[in-house]
Amino acid sequence: MQCTKVSGSAEQLLDPAAAAWAGVPAEALTMAATPLANQPSEYIKASRDEKQIGKCRTLNVQSAHNGTEVFFRLSWGDESENDKEVTDTNMFPDGCGVLLPIGGGDAPIEEMGSKDVGVNAWFWRANYKPDEARNTFAHGLGSTEFSKTSSIRARGAWQQGVWTVVFTRPLSVPELEKEAVQLAAGKSVKVGFAVWEGGSGERAGVKSFSKEWRDLVLDA
Amino acid sequence: MAEMTDEEKKAQRAKDLANESKSAKAQLKQCDRQLAMVFDLNKCLGCQTCTIACKTLWTRDEGMEYQWWATVNTQPGKGTPRDWQQMGGGFRGEEPRAGQLPSKRDFGEAWDFNYEEVFYGGKGNAAHLKPSGEPDWGPNWDEDQGGGKYPNSFYFYLPRICNHCTNPACLEACPRNAIYKRKEDGIVLISQDKCKGYRFCMEACPYKKIYFNHVTQTSQKCIFCYPRIEKGVANACARQCPGRLRFVGYLDDESGPIFKLVKKWKVALPLHPDRGTQPNIYYVPPISPPRIDEQGNLDLAKPRIPTDYLKFLFGDEVEPALEILNAEMAKTKAGGKSEILDTLIVYEWKSLFGPFTTDPSTIAPRSA
Repeated sequence: MQCTKVSGSAEQLLDPAAAAWAGVPAEALTMAATPLANQPSEYIKASRDEKQIGKCRTLNVQSAHNGTEVFFRLSWGDESENDKEVTDTNMFPDGCGVLLPIGGGDAPIEEMGSKDVGVNAWFWRANYKPDEARNTFAHGLGSTEFSKTSSIRARGAWQQGVWTVVFTRPLSVPELEKEAVQLAAGKSVKVGFAVWEGGSGERAGVKSFSKEWRDLVLDA
Repeated sequence: MAEMTDEEKKAQRAKDLANESKSAKAQLKQCDRQLAMVFDLNKCLGCQTCTIACKTLWTRDEGMEYQWWATVNTQPGKGTPRDWQQMGGGFRGEEPRAGQLPSKRDFGEAWDFNYEEVFYGGKGNAAHLKPSGEPDWGPNWDEDQGGGKYPNSFYFYLPRICNHCTNPACLEACPRNAIYKRKEDGIVLISQDKCKGYRFCMEACPYKKIYFNHVTQTSQKCIFCYPRIEKGVANACARQCPGRLRFVGYLDDESGPIFKLVKKWKVALPLHPDRGTQPNIYYVPPISPPRIDEQGNLDLAKPRIPTDYLKFLFGDEVEPALEILNAEMAKTKAGGKSEILDTLIVYEWKSLFGPFTTDPSTIAPRSA
């Protein structure tokens, strides 16, 4: 997967409808249910059917950087918009995430990293405030934690059955050394993606994911 | 030894992960002692003082409007949340059983009242206090409706809080291990730092005693008043109960009323023991008034509250428990003495609370 060098500003590219995205190649990733057998809860295993998990089956991904900031534009089909506001006890928001191993190590993607190799997840949910996204990090299933600060911004738009979400972050975030991945032009990192379909009660590890790491090569 | 195939490796890894998770859960469930309560249903008059004591102490913040950690509902009835007894959860044998997520409407939304208009609107008797909108459910909507047909209609009150189970379905369900039992007393707590509001606990709890706070985006529930317990003060719901029906103490304290009622005399039973969570709130089942036959005479042959209904709530053990209670009543009617009834009568309020009789007004408030 290529992270294309572009000249737009973060403000321009953060708009999911920005014209600049037309010139960035898109890759359609096949998504699958997270393995039920790995869920860190016997209740989740007993109460769910893996065939019913992972409503999102195809995710279109574009990636770009402008020398200082990196961008991911994710889009997928979703007939319902769930939900700008989570006001009821049985409502869950749609969401998506970008996953990258910290320090370039070989962390298992289906286990959210390991004790030795952490992963960094960029996390957006439809009920977040405008432009809000969270930086999370994990060392294994069920261990995800929010960082106190997040340099990530994200903007999502749902239109005619399609969600489009753009994430952006400075390539380098020295203030989050242990909790985030450091990126640089000309370098390569592993990347994975996840989507939660809130209307089907998807949350936590119950989601669709991109099954294996992709090598993301950042244009020099 | 032959190389494992990828499939075999995956299966082995899943097994290892399950074992890791199992031992983590076992740690979280482990406790040295267990606090418990006994509620004597023959003394509950449905005054809701417990409900309000809890509400004013713990659930006044924004996001907690609809939360009632302590409730009292008329049985038979739909309860709160509505039809919670049909929402699954708990365990079938060892296996967790799927449950439903109640909606806020099922709990009963917190209503807004027109206080301003009634008290300060200058409308005199023309304005009456009423909730805004057209509510069609609330946490006590079917109060005092009960069941049975006149003249054999019946009802009783069922006070409920979190059961602080020995095998909590919520703890088992949480993928973040955010729920744990306190080692020193078995109180079940949800770590508000670890909780991410995924609500698998709410699904899994067969008693539907977990609430989602949409402001903090976390799940919350009864904390057994642990800050009071730590100071030797009984729980607010128990201390405020004018009926003296809520016993508080350690389950293993052989000199206390809880041990005697639950373990020795076996007249206090958990609610829905078939859900497999081993609750630590126990109930003395309601003794029936006599039935009235077609001629209008007392019919002592059958209890007015159908035994099958009590078995549905408290399991088969309810029959021997009621037999013991009825026999003790007969004994005292004949002029004898009954230690069981004396215990349940509670002549001295302090006998309700074991080591938790400290006056809350003597405790200095926590500094901010």
